[in-house]
Amino acid sequence: MKTVDAKDKDLRDVSREVKTSLDGQAVTIKNSIQLHGLAAGLKKGEVVVKGDAGDYLGVLNDGATIIGTANVGNYIADNMTAGTVVVTGNAGFGAAQYCYGGTVIVRGDAGDFTATMNKGATIIVCGDVGDDVGTYMLKGDLIVVGNAGENFANCLIRGNVFIGGQWKSLGHNTRVEPLTEEDKARLRACFDTYEIDADPATLKKIVAASEKPFYH
Amino acid sequence: MAVIGAFCVSVNKEICINARMPGKCATCAEVCPHDVYGLDGFSGEVNVHNFNACVGCRICAEFCPTNAIRINPAEPEYLTRYPWTFAAIEEVHYKAQTGEYLLRGFGTHGQTPNFDMITVVPSQIASPAPLDKYREECDMSLTIGEDTCEKPITLRLPFVWPAMSFGALSREAKMALAIGAAMSGIATNTGEGGLVPEEAWLARGYSDKEMTHKKWEPGGYLVIQWSTGRWGVSADYLNAGDAVEVKIGQGAKPGMGGHLLGAKVTEEVARVRGIPVGSDALSPCRYYDVQSLEDMKHMVAFLRDVTNYQVPILFKLGPSRPYADVAACIEAGADAISLDGMVGGTGCSPDIVTQGVGIPTIACLPPAVQALKDHGVHRKVKLIALGGIRNGLEAFKAMAMGADAVGFGSAAQVAMGCRVCYACQKGNCPYGITSQRPEMRARLDPAEAGKRLANFIHACAEELKIVTMLSGHKSIREVSTEDLRAMDLNTAALTGLKLCGYERPLPFWEEALHPGAGNGNGHKSP
Repeated sequence: MKTVDAKDKDLRDVSREVKTSLDGQAVTIKNSIQLHGLAAGLKKGEVVVKGDAGDYLGVLNDGATIIGTANVGNYIADNMTAGTVVVTGNAGFGAAQYCYGGTVIVRGDAGDFTATMNKGATIIVCGDVGDDVGTYMLKGDLIVVGNAGENFANCLIRGNVFIGGQWKSLGHNTRVEPLTEEDKARLRACFDTYEIDADPATLKKIVAASEKPFYH
Repeated sequence: MAVIGAFCVSVNKEICINARMPGKCATCAEVCPHDVYGLDGFSGEVNVHNFNACVGCRICAEFCPTNAIRINPAEPEYLTRYPWTFAAIEEVHYKAQTGEYLLRGFGTHGQTPNFDMITVVPSQIASPAPLDKYREECDMSLTIGEDTCEKPITLRLPFVWPAMSFGALSREAKMALAIGAAMSGIATNTGEGGLVPEEAWLARGYSDKEMTHKKWEPGGYLVIQWSTGRWGVSADYLNAGDAVEVKIGQGAKPGMGGHLLGAKVTEEVARVRGIPVGSDALSPCRYYDVQSLEDMKHMVAFLRDVTNYQVPILFKLGPSRPYADVAACIEAGADAISLDGMVGGTGCSPDIVTQGVGIPTIACLPPAVQALKDHGVHRKVKLIALGGIRNGLEAFKAMAMGADAVGFGSAAQVAMGCRVCYACQKGNCPYGITSQRPEMRARLDPAEAGKRLANFIHACAEELKIVTMLSGHKSIREVSTEDLRAMDLNTAALTGLKLCGYERPLPFWEEALHPGAGNGNGHKSP
């Protein structure tokens, strides 16, 4: 595995090294917390970020597997279209916003406005999440194993939101529905795939009360 | 219902086909976007059953096969009945009946401060002498991003089509804009609705996806918009164009995001935007993934990285606090800034926002230019003026006030055939420009509309050339506020231009314009 040391380098230099090295092998990046927008727009390969990472890690990811071995900054996997992003620690504000596809797994907690405007990705947070998580979601799945803050799933338009713990308050246009057997099977498969220790049967499902909540 | 004003609709029954042969023609009822005409399904008769709803667009008159319809303003209500004009009364009735606020398309109507009260100062015996438009050259090209990216863009003319999204516009209209841009050597813009595949090659002048057959010379450019809704956005999308534009706001509804109602989210629009069919596509009013100017700098950095440092990064601003907003864009790393005045257009917006929010274009330019000057980047970071600019003369005035280029948004729609009915949001545009209905779209031939757009640009370029050269300049980059005069006190106060006759800026501007005496318009230097 090729290792890129980001110390004292700018984003352009590190990005060039990563893209050059990705051809056929995984790349490890270390000392990169000062860089924001690392591993942006990659279509293939595996990038492992050792230690804490900055903001916008894996932005516009389009097929690569990106692994943060510790905590990550704000806006991880922003606008992802394909691929997988895994965070071993916690994620900051706005994790996995604007995603169209792929899978994001945060094994720790995630901040406010996580999964905002999700348009098709599967976003899993194993710990707790902050306020306004899942705002304006249009498609895809959001799975929170822990607890949520205020305005959970606010202004939900379409898509499925699952939560294992409690929420402080539910957002506008939301409705709690019982889990179907299909939901349980899907959640079980997801938990097995990503080795998440949770019982699907204990989760609650939230859907949009109306698909057209804003205008006549 | 009437939201614009009252108009008298009169139909000459002697030549109206329907009046003579009910059922044989109902064209007016079919094309009217506001249901002014009622068609009796039993008798086939068409009657003016809701003339109060007429907004004076005259689409019915244009489509009428026998030229039987006349539309005239009903009365000068703003003189006789203000504030309770007919439109105001109808608006209250509508809200009382429905509990809904008004939505409409296109842009601001009525009087706002504009370029009309600015005049151009021609050259005479004093230097510089005027130049001969028929014999001498005038350089009107403009390059964006020459020092910041690998592939700067050089517009042949200082014009752009501003961002107008697929969804708000039909696919055919987007294609026409791309063809018009290619024929004129200017840039078109995806808008925030994702990329219509054809735009990518049509804008460059090619008729085929592989870009082997160059059909339209000299070829233009495609600007890819990155917005708060992020519709249809991917790494491939960003790399499909010649520049990336970060949308912060727009003139018609600054402080709000885009609105595309579910009625216009057809299967094709949904596919391009990456959302379910029929779902309302509401862009947030701000970026959820930006909380500070530092974040915005990081965003620009990763956009440059994803596009491999090849293309310029533009910003688009609505009319808010031009000095501070332009300064922020400069700090964030913009190569160019599109600044949209309040008269700028939209596919859909709350009526009150389009009508009553924002700053007129002529008042946006002086503080924006001052911000560029204070940062030492005027004419380096390019300023593109948008918002109600309709011809080459207004383009000249904007550029003499400090802009490097202008955009024609609403004018482009009119050039394609639009009659300004203010109902773009309904999706029933009879010209196929803002409709997603196949039968409407079929009326708009992209190649023909593209030619009309190119003709319009050609005419505006000639106008711009005339005025530039009669002012004594051989390049559009030489023009300045010295080439302009304000014709009334209001315009002089808003713009800082010299007042006709007085031959100086108004006193408070004179103080602000002198070095060391502040920087104009009450804004502090950063």
